[in-house]
Amino acid sequence: MTDYISRNRALVRFIVLPTIFLSVALLGGVRVSAEARGLIFLAPPLITLLLAALLVALFVRAGALNLRAWITSDQPTLTNISHILTLLSVFFASAQAFNSVLPERGLFHWLFSFFFLWTLWNNQFASFDARRLVRSLAVLFGTAFVLKHLLLAGLYAPEGGWLKRLAGALLEGVSLGTIDVPAFAPATGYISFFALALYVAGLALLTPTPHALRDVDTQQLLEGYAKLSPQDRFTVREALTERQIELVKPEQDQGA
Amino acid sequence: MQLKLIQSGGIVWTIVYAAFVVWIYATEPRTLREMATNTQVVAGTYQVDQEKFKNALEMFHREQFRAARDEWGRADPGAQDPRTQFYIAYTFYREGWGRLYDDDVLFKQGLETVNRAISLAPNQTLTVDDPDLQLHTAAELKAELEQGAERSWGDLNPVEVFRKRK
Repeated sequence: MTDYISRNRALVRFIVLPTIFLSVALLGGVRVSAEARGLIFLAPPLITLLLAALLVALFVRAGALNLRAWITSDQPTLTNISHILTLLSVFFASAQAFNSVLPERGLFHWLFSFFFLWTLWNNQFASFDARRLVRSLAVLFGTAFVLKHLLLAGLYAPEGGWLKRLAGALLEGVSLGTIDVPAFAPATGYISFFALALYVAGLALLTPTPHALRDVDTQQLLEGYAKLSPQDRFTVREALTERQIELVKPEQDQGA
Repeated sequence: MQLKLIQSGGIVWTIVYAAFVVWIYATEPRTLREMATNTQVVAGTYQVDQEKFKNALEMFHREQFRAARDEWGRADPGAQDPRTQFYIAYTFYREGWGRLYDDDVLFKQGLETVNRAISLAPNQTLTVDDPDLQLHTAAELKAELEQGAERSWGDLNPVEVFRKRK
């Protein structure tokens, strides 16, 4: 039983996670041109690397990634190399996930970049736990996906999408302006959706520490704790602290 | 032991997959077929389709230059064979050549293609033994295309009307 658990965990840590994140790195920059239906590979722009760096910093601050546990001198070199590769793949997958939901150029590219930057910078100073961070990121990327691949794509589709017709009917006489938004084939949205889903799944599989520190009971206890409301969590922490004080006191009395 | 195997396999797999991702972004294939061609080039198994090459050559001899160019493009989809690229450049030359004036656009495309052929050839020298051609080396073809694309007072020389296509 233990053999299966440790083998499966090793498979996830050393093979599945890098594969997922590298697949995101591959798919995040893929677009399908509207005219020729040919593939276009967009390397991550500089701003996405900055956003990815902020996001990885956020993972560390929120405890979703404990870097000291992932890379440490207590581990064999091979393990450290493997962990470094996984963390690098997380970084590039993050950059490509941003690349996937950022408009390629023009005013919207900078507007989206600014909002991402603003959100990530604000979050650096907010209190997060790992689960909440993953949920928050799923919502952030989901919103950006809807804005780019549904709203903007519909508004600026060359053949006139549903939103363009709706906007035309509602805002009769009002120009949508000459904002430069490149048009891609609908397949681009599907690829982006798949890449983002894969990215969020990868984050959900990513553990703060690479080792199995907990036994099954501890894991269940922690999972139950994560489901509690903030007030209940506070009560549990208080109870545990009191219990610890009670345990420590007799030892101190004996010492005295 | 098993853990170490998974670990080593994971490292190798991650490096190979990452290299593949970088390679895809560097080569930017437009279709899956192009991706397959690029893979063949990297693996060293790329070959020109000889049947299509021969068809194109027959079209070339019949002076169907555009059709020949298309067929050679299909014979060498990765644009990796210097000989095929030389012939494609030759089609640009013959199609663009005119007694009174040359087609600059076609000559420039020919120049780009012959430059590619030269860069692909071993030692950057390429000789094609074809009795139908008057220019047998890529260097000669390049000089002819450059000369045709240039603007000079010599273009106004009436004797130029009597020059022959090579």
